[in-house]
Amino acid sequence: MATSTPPAPRTAQGPATTAPRPAAPRRRRWSVGSVALYTVASLAAIVWFAPLLWAFATSVKPEGETTVMPPTWLPDNATFEAYTSVLGRGDILRWTMNSLITTVIVTVLTLVLCVLAAYGFSRFDFRGRPGLFALIIGGILIPPQTLIVPQFVLMTQLGMVDTYWGVALPQVVAPVFVFILKRFFDAIPRDYEDAARLDGAGPVRVLWSVILPLSRPILTAVGIFTFIGAWNNFLWPFIVVNDPEMMTLPVGLGTAVGQYGIQYAQVMASAVLGALPLLVVFLLFQRHIVTGVAGAGIKG
Amino acid sequence: MRRASRAPHAPPPPLAPVGPGRRAFVTGALATAGLAAAGCAPPDTLISGETRLRQWNLFAGGDGLRMIEMHDAYQAEHPGIDFRATTFTWGAPFYTKVAMGAAGGRGADIATVHVSRLESLAPGRLLDPIDPGLLAEFGIDDTVVLPNIWEKCFFDGQLYAIPIDTHVLIQYINLDVCRQAGVLDADDRLVEVSGVDAYFDLLREIQGVTGDYGLSMDTWNPWSNFWALYRQQDGELVLGEDDFEMDDDKALAAMDVMYRLAEEGLAPRHSRDADTAANIANGHAGLMIHGNWEIPTLEATGIEFSATQFPAVFGNHRTRGDSHCYVFPHQRDRDPERTRAAAEYAAWMLHNSLTWAGGGHIPAYQPVVESAEYDALHPQSEYREAAENVQFEPEAWFSGSAGRLQEEAAGALTTLHQGTQTPEQALDQLKGTIRNLLSVPSPV
Amino acid sequence: MTQNTQAPAPRTAPGSAPAAPRGLVDVRRRPSSWTGLWFVLPFLAFYAVFLLWPAIVGFGYTFTDRSLAGGDVSFIGLDNWSETLTDSDMYDSLWNTLWFTVLSVPLMVVLALGMALLTDHARRLGWFLRLSFFAPFVLPVTVMTLIWGWMYNPSLGLFNGTLSRFGIEGPEWLFSEDTAMFSVVAATAWWQVGFNYLLYLAAMQSIPKDVYEAAAIDGAGVWQRIGRITLPMLARTTALIAVLQLIGSLRVFEQIYLMTMGGPNFATRTVIQYIYDSGFVGLRIGLASSMAYVFMVLIIAASIAQFRLFSRKEG
Repeated sequence: MATSTPPAPRTAQGPATTAPRPAAPRRRRWSVGSVALYTVASLAAIVWFAPLLWAFATSVKPEGETTVMPPTWLPDNATFEAYTSVLGRGDILRWTMNSLITTVIVTVLTLVLCVLAAYGFSRFDFRGRPGLFALIIGGILIPPQTLIVPQFVLMTQLGMVDTYWGVALPQVVAPVFVFILKRFFDAIPRDYEDAARLDGAGPVRVLWSVILPLSRPILTAVGIFTFIGAWNNFLWPFIVVNDPEMMTLPVGLGTAVGQYGIQYAQVMASAVLGALPLLVVFLLFQRHIVTGVAGAGIKG
Repeated sequence: MRRASRAPHAPPPPLAPVGPGRRAFVTGALATAGLAAAGCAPPDTLISGETRLRQWNLFAGGDGLRMIEMHDAYQAEHPGIDFRATTFTWGAPFYTKVAMGAAGGRGADIATVHVSRLESLAPGRLLDPIDPGLLAEFGIDDTVVLPNIWEKCFFDGQLYAIPIDTHVLIQYINLDVCRQAGVLDADDRLVEVSGVDAYFDLLREIQGVTGDYGLSMDTWNPWSNFWALYRQQDGELVLGEDDFEMDDDKALAAMDVMYRLAEEGLAPRHSRDADTAANIANGHAGLMIHGNWEIPTLEATGIEFSATQFPAVFGNHRTRGDSHCYVFPHQRDRDPERTRAAAEYAAWMLHNSLTWAGGGHIPAYQPVVESAEYDALHPQSEYREAAENVQFEPEAWFSGSAGRLQEEAAGALTTLHQGTQTPEQALDQLKGTIRNLLSVPSPV
Repeated sequence: MTQNTQAPAPRTAPGSAPAAPRGLVDVRRRPSSWTGLWFVLPFLAFYAVFLLWPAIVGFGYTFTDRSLAGGDVSFIGLDNWSETLTDSDMYDSLWNTLWFTVLSVPLMVVLALGMALLTDHARRLGWFLRLSFFAPFVLPVTVMTLIWGWMYNPSLGLFNGTLSRFGIEGPEWLFSEDTAMFSVVAATAWWQVGFNYLLYLAAMQSIPKDVYEAAAIDGAGVWQRIGRITLPMLARTTALIAVLQLIGSLRVFEQIYLMTMGGPNFATRTVIQYIYDSGFVGLRIGLASSMAYVFMVLIIAASIAQFRLFSRKEG
């Protein structure tokens, strides 16, 4: 986990591009002000984390203890019963699998399609190029939520309702990434490619061995965000999947947990299990995610 | 929301170079993709040797527990069938998923719906017809099911549903209270009364004991009560293309009963959900009009109670009712073997519907209703004739259980209990609601 | 070459030095060929099938009585449009969406700013604060609604249980028309503010240090430095976050649907849910499509405002 401050984003915010900050803050004496500051900051962080802790606390209580009023944070008899019951049903594992499969399809296809398109737009001239590019940029403006009805109709016609492809394919069209990647590729000087081209490399070789290696940071960012976005997407999978066995994790948790009724420990155990995969991803990739968001905003 | 804003097409835009990427993310992703692609066939293509059977239903209450009991028994007897049942949230969410699944052609093999919602599920398009011959092979035909319900299962001359039960409004009796009020006979049966005045007198005697109400009834979803009272007078509701006919005098008479019950303090002005059963259970009322599915609820309270048919307020015991039935949602590629398994499952559930009757519903399968075992079920056997007195709603895409008419008519009818509108005003509003629904083009 | 861990070129961001990379663009142009089209084609195919086609066909649906249940489709002119534009439920759901936006945008900007200021000053807690403030953002929406629905439970939940300790009878949260929208907004802020927070944090940490040092020499205190340097320099970031949040909030659906189903008494039904209700619950594809198009126009208008904002900064 990164304990240093995140690298300063290179910004367009002024003429000066800032040098990275020193990793550690200057040594300071603990003044009244900083004691207050650190107290407030710690409290805020704890309060913000509390709902997750409360979910966990509830999930390790025996069912009888979950509804004891007033509420207690520490269970008298901690137990993982709720987890064994929830996992025993098998649904959550099945939904996690479905999420993993559809998310990987979305992430890989998005990266491949967007990289190819961005490379094409960035490095080649062809008939209709400005018009096609404008068309794609225009697509950024269309809110996908407003297309759910015709998209569902399309899926019924293609026979893709209640399939992995039905969940994944409409999610891979991300015009904004074509735009972002093209801008990035545009900024890579041509000299690198010229050398490769002189060695006889074709356009695909150039993309693979020159452009992509130079674009790792942006590819990582796009990949991570596509992954998180697809994993957490609710609306589209909720529309296109009705069969409980084909549901992704967020949709399954939302539709079928009603069956647990008033067994709150089990409901919270399923919430904790549903939170785990991406929390782990977040801890592993924390720095990339943080800087990825940063890059997103600064560059708009 | 932010998340929604970028899905499914536009994740947030991380622009420009960001932190150093030391992880070979792309390579990793591609490797994972290879693995995933290998194993990403949808499950129904997996060859297991078992017949796959998927059942969707909406039973989440006391009847749901009965159903799980029956499903366990079914599975024990059918090891060759890969059976799975899913319970969805009752009402609109369930019907939405059934319709969308059928539109997509890969939904459930068999689903449980209300027979009154058959038309709204577009038989022939969202529902596949059922071959009566196939059902007959498993012992289900019009000789073992009540004709008035069997007829409801047809649409355009084709069979689309297999009736499971009839559920009706019945009258519950708190035996303690009614005994004190002296309205029970020697067998603990409620004395037979007929007509509005006689019924109100009965309630007044009971009220004398409870000090609160005579009758407990649901004021939040009053359409069913209204429909029973209206139909007891032979009131008709004829729905045309964009107009309808209704008998104002009879509707007003029914509404007047509802209005006066609350006005004279014989029934509560507000009663919703669990309140209704609570009122009779804790002795605030001696009688209750409610669905037969409340039997497990009252059993759980431990009070001494019985039940009988809907009171003969207008001289007969007609009552509002509906039926649960099995339907075959449309499938793109209907597999004959699974269809056969679905029919066999439905028949099995009907043959074993004595368990189902325990939840209060009146089985559609007559051999069970006529059996000695059913006779022994109390209070179920007390109201078995109710299935013949059941009054269905007129067929329309908006009628039926959890349909739009039922939901929207509550707005007008609730005001009668609350005393905020006279029957004349409520009737005006109700007719406006029906007119509105007729003006909306039918989606089916 | 592939072992390079640092790409030299991207170090210079396009925006910060527009002249250099932009200049290259024209130089490298080759005469027209078909090669580029082959690279663009796969994306275009997906784009056409899954985005463009539904958008066009959906517009066509608005003039028909098409039903999700199938059956004959006939042309009904502008009926769907006039029904949409005269439907009081449509305006109610638009109003609910707007009300959600009005409540959530300022809250989620101010909260994010406060959190970023705390993190920027309490540097020793850096990773801990980032973890805590941002972690909710990666939760699937259902996990969030399960947790908050449980905390909001009127009789058994954490909030009212804690209030009852002090003898206070808590509100009904999601179950009352008066409090449902506020409850949904609070839960949303907890869940999604992390994104705005990181945007602020990044912007703050890119403010040149010497500016602060100069101010410190002039004797400016912490609050003065925040008021006179940090906030003014964050003005553009604030505008950006506000616009992004605005567009995000207008599209709200899932957490509200999961927490209240649009209730009680439709007090929290948003436009997207109304489209869903009309199209998938009510089966009326045509009507739902015309609603979607009305809403799409509103969103696109808001998005164009966003683009304006960005182009102004570059110009």
